[in-house]
Amino acid sequence: MDIKETINGLTQEMRRGTIIIGVLSQLSEPQYGYSLVSILEEKGINIDPGTMYPLLRRLEKQELLESKWDTNETRPRKYYMLSPTGKEVYRQLCLEWQMMTVSLDSLIRGGTDDGSS
Amino acid sequence: MEVVKRYIHAVTQKLPEQQRADIEKELYGLIEDMVEERVQGGEITQNDVEEVLLELGNPSDLADKYRGSKRYLIGPELFPTYLFVLKIALAAIAIATTVAFVIETLLDPAQIQSELTSYISSIISGFFQGFAWVTIIFFLVDYKGINKSKLGMDSWKLSDLPPLPNQQARIKMSEPIVSITFTIILLVLLTFSIDLFGVSFTRDISIRTIIPIFDGEVFHRFLPFIWIVFAISILSDIMKIIAGRWSIKLITFDIVAIVLHFVLAVFMFADSSIWNPHFMQLIAETDLILNDSDALQTIQTVWSYATQGILSIIGVILGIQLITTIIKYFKIRDFS
Repeated sequence: MDIKETINGLTQEMRRGTIIIGVLSQLSEPQYGYSLVSILEEKGINIDPGTMYPLLRRLEKQELLESKWDTNETRPRKYYMLSPTGKEVYRQLCLEWQMMTVSLDSLIRGGTDDGSS
Repeated sequence: MEVVKRYIHAVTQKLPEQQRADIEKELYGLIEDMVEERVQGGEITQNDVEEVLLELGNPSDLADKYRGSKRYLIGPELFPTYLFVLKIALAAIAIATTVAFVIETLLDPAQIQSELTSYISSIISGFFQGFAWVTIIFFLVDYKGINKSKLGMDSWKLSDLPPLPNQQARIKMSEPIVSITFTIILLVLLTFSIDLFGVSFTRDISIRTIIPIFDGEVFHRFLPFIWIVFAISILSDIMKIIAGRWSIKLITFDIVAIVLHFVLAVFMFADSSIWNPHFMQLIAETDLILNDSDALQTIQTVWSYATQGILSIIGVILGIQLITTIIKYFKIRDFS
């Protein structure tokens, strides 16, 4: 198999786990699906809308998000926002993430120290 | 635009009723947003819309994402077992119809052409039936979630470790396989060739006849019940193959199946009209024992006892099965 393909596959796998934390991070303010896609894209995280919309629904079902239809604008939009549970979960996930990065950093640096580079 | 409506319909038609309206509204908004961003305030063309829809991708993939799971008739966890049982079932059907065909041909070689035709048609219809029944049973097993977790193996215990060869709890694979094979062979023979159950006579070298024991028409009326009871016993065998070891629930199911078999047998054989009413007459007519009144007398006596006889035999067989199963129950109970 092409090495690029392998790298692509593995990168995607890594990204998949980070999408949720990325989405939750932007939802202390209400956002609708497509605005979230744009915001995350600006910050270098690409999620296609076909993944974002079902994901928002799933997170709402897990009671991490609350939603509300806004019909005042030109077209009705469903706005999502962190629920109290969602806020707590997001805080915990951030802690986990920081721990993970610290551990992985030390592993990666440890690897180069061993002279493997 | 019509294509948008069609796209959204294609997504939502595969989703649960109560979510459809909401997702529909949401998707309209999304597609409009995406199109607007694409044209940047310019004129919207059909082409822009189509490109947006292509970007959103295959509607059934999108529906899968909304549903959160793919839909299966038989899930990947059960599929290998399904194929395995299907092969056994089809093989058993092939064996049974072939056996019936060979017997019929031996009895009446002159009719080989029509026998061959009926053999081919019954093997084809048998395959379809077998395929349908196995699939339906597995679909129900999967749909009702009867898997390892439901069979009482959900919480992992030390006693769940793979059993040693001498342990009572292990189910020998050959047991359910043999059982399924015989059940299907019997099922096919009872359904299609009930007339073969009888006493065989050779009148001369070329013609042999079978005097059927049962009244075919009456017997056929019992067939649906036979199918149900046999289907239950096949279901129990399939669960044994899936589980691989005895559990209280499996044993209970087995006991229920045995009792049902007995109920069916009582139900069938208590009704004396199931026996061929012309049996004695046909026996008397055959040349073999025409002038031997003693033999005829004996057959007469045996025949009159047949009703209770067959019921007692079935009762004894099922009784032995029941007792061994109950013994198993107590052994398993001590293990868990």
